[in-house]
Amino acid sequence: MLGTARDLMLIDRTQRGWGLGSLGIFAAALVMYFLEAWIAPQGQPRGGSAIGLIFGVVGFGFMIFAAALGARKRVPTWRIGRAKAWMRGHLWLGLLSLPLVLFHGGFHFGGTLTRVLMWLLIATVASGVYGALLQNSIPKKMTADIPLETIYDEISHVRKLLREEADRTVESICGDVGFAKDVSGEIQRAGGFTALRPIAASAAPLRTSAAVSAGASAAVAPAAEIILLSEAESAPLCKFYIEEMRPFLEQSKSRGRRLADEARAPSVFVSLRTLLPAAAHNTLADLEDICDEARQLLRQERLHRWLHGWLLLHIPLSLALILLGAVHAVMALRY
Amino acid sequence: MARTRTTKTVAQRIDLNYFKRPTPFKRAKLWLAILAPAIALVWIGWHVLGRDNRVYSSGRLSEAHAVLEKECAACHVQQAGGYSASAADSACLACHDGPAHHATNINTKVACAQCHVEHRGRINLAAVSDRTCAQCHANLEATTGPGGSVYAKHIVSFQDGHPEFAELRSLQGHQAHDAGSIKLNHALHMQPIRRGPNGPNMQLECSDCHRPGATENQIWEYSDPHYSAARSTDSPHSLLVAVPMFMGVASTVWSSRVSLRPRRPGSGRELMAPPIFANACAGCHLLTFDKRFDQGVPHDNPKVVHAYLVKKFSGYIATHGAELHEVEEPRRNLTGRANGPVSRSLSPAQWVAERVAVSEELLWHKTCSQCHAISITPLQDVRIARWDAANPNAESRIVSSISTAVSERPADSLPGILTANIAEKWLPNARFDHDAHLGFSCIGCHQNALTSTETSDILIPGIATCQKCHAPGPERAESRCFECHTYHDWAKRKEIKPTFTLPALYSTGK
Repeated sequence: MLGTARDLMLIDRTQRGWGLGSLGIFAAALVMYFLEAWIAPQGQPRGGSAIGLIFGVVGFGFMIFAAALGARKRVPTWRIGRAKAWMRGHLWLGLLSLPLVLFHGGFHFGGTLTRVLMWLLIATVASGVYGALLQNSIPKKMTADIPLETIYDEISHVRKLLREEADRTVESICGDVGFAKDVSGEIQRAGGFTALRPIAASAAPLRTSAAVSAGASAAVAPAAEIILLSEAESAPLCKFYIEEMRPFLEQSKSRGRRLADEARAPSVFVSLRTLLPAAAHNTLADLEDICDEARQLLRQERLHRWLHGWLLLHIPLSLALILLGAVHAVMALRY
Repeated sequence: MARTRTTKTVAQRIDLNYFKRPTPFKRAKLWLAILAPAIALVWIGWHVLGRDNRVYSSGRLSEAHAVLEKECAACHVQQAGGYSASAADSACLACHDGPAHHATNINTKVACAQCHVEHRGRINLAAVSDRTCAQCHANLEATTGPGGSVYAKHIVSFQDGHPEFAELRSLQGHQAHDAGSIKLNHALHMQPIRRGPNGPNMQLECSDCHRPGATENQIWEYSDPHYSAARSTDSPHSLLVAVPMFMGVASTVWSSRVSLRPRRPGSGRELMAPPIFANACAGCHLLTFDKRFDQGVPHDNPKVVHAYLVKKFSGYIATHGAELHEVEEPRRNLTGRANGPVSRSLSPAQWVAERVAVSEELLWHKTCSQCHAISITPLQDVRIARWDAANPNAESRIVSSISTAVSERPADSLPGILTANIAEKWLPNARFDHDAHLGFSCIGCHQNALTSTETSDILIPGIATCQKCHAPGPERAESRCFECHTYHDWAKRKEIKPTFTLPALYSTGK
């Protein structure tokens, strides 16, 4: 329990400096606000008063700083502070901008533009807080639940490779089933390869199950020997692969697939094992492994969407906020 | 053969340039990041092209200024290449005057926008915060200097520091009292009356006597048409003039203080008009003076009443000449034998003089003095106006005297009646509207009326009664200063030349 609580703790020691600083600024702003509210004849500070203007300028400054994180990320080589410091500043100062702007307007949303700005700010900060919560919890969950995690952008490609691997695995014991081979152009790959290396097993000499049962010497067969099943023996596997597993690997997002369900998938393979000869069980284990990896990628995709989906709201809103905020600042100072 | 998954095989699957490839998520992020600011820009641009400045407004304007919603420059007067951040006083004063408030006592100039905060929605702009008043009134000595003001020195709000109403405060150890001179026993009038105009045991309502000024012409339950139709030579306005009060308490009577004139004329239902005899009293209090006449004397000044009596009796004797010769019934002496009847003959002038004198004695001594304070010196002259048959010498002397008095009596020999001095406005420095409180019974606030027996009793409720409802918070009536007080001295307002024309205001802002 204690460990879980510690895991969920958002403000760790690394955040303490920013946290305390922000708290100090907030406390100072709060004191200023209530002093102004105490002194101001109207009872509430207004955006046009000296204190109100200070709140507005500082709040907008924090917003600009928070928005500058995006620019900072685009030029990571610039020596303008560590990325972590920028991120913490983004989080804390961005959060602080909301109370400052509320103090600026005396908790009034004002006219059309200012009302739009206030709601934009609220939505931006709320989405940011939501994102920060997700960023704090989902990566930990991902590490625990998805050991076969890969780069998100490559998931579709990796899934394709998994399908090709599964095709080859099935063909290795069922013979040529007629799956189309991908002959797409070569690309630069990590690990010093320009193309995917062929699976060694596929080049191994084949032995039929009939030969094995006829007493063929096992000694001559290499360790990586693959047995080609007869058509009758391989029929359940071929049927399962063509009708269920391959579609799952190709379109894993479709709902209702047994293989996509972590609880139901093992029973599928258990029943297949009873239908296939023992020689095919290793191959079946490989296919189960491939399904498991595909399922993890599926889960990674889902978690990734949660982890980054909020940015589709946060970034556009914050850009609109900065733009309209600048318009408001100019026009408010003009009038 | 078990499936192998080495670092190399895993790395082999990754395209080194994967980050350069656009993905649906990256594309969506990019397009939304462009689209959102673009929409914002188009929205602002649309308002700019439409010359609609309302979008920049920090809030809707007050009710009174709603028509200027699109005309920012009407208040934010352009100054040297820019605009004033807050509305300039000159812009406010271009449309309406804002007379000063005790200008001689104020050390600092207060800008309009300091108290009247705009862009707070469709509010009443006069509904200023208590703090705007408390800037000075919380410590009036600091503003005006020691002894600079006769008002309470530390008023923060209606609940904090506001003194008891001036008319109810005791000054210099003297109990405050009503300076009105009409003798009225409220307690008696609030009890069932045995001999009312419509029969026994009638119960008066407050509104039978007290009504707002604007409702005076309505039908009164106990009015007398004879008196209602008559025009008094002394109108209520001239009768009820302000007189110095005994205690020096600032008091306002019928003629309200000019300096407290509201900005706009009221409905006329705010204050209770002083009760008028014809409407409120004549039903019960008859001014009859002689059995020969059903009608009473006019409710007017003694000179008019005297002239009326002379005219009535002169007219009467002209048609009833037989009454000039009077015969008194014989009196019995000690022996029991009846004396002969005593008779006398009068000239018409003597008869009129005698009847007028007798009637005036009744009126001045009883009828009028029941309600009015009368100077009694002239009454001594009329007390002898009675025929004493046992003293014929005296009779002739008296009649002769009266005869002279009737025809040649100087005006100042008539009794003087003290001004009624009925206060209409009891809160000289504040506004009060009875009409706003018409849902509440009179006795709910004026409880003292049930027990008051003296004219001098002040029957307005104290501040504590008002504070029961007028307090901060929900389910309470407005309690801010502006509810009762005005800052500007509207009596000093100046007329302003109109600035805007219709319908040009909506097209050009001019």
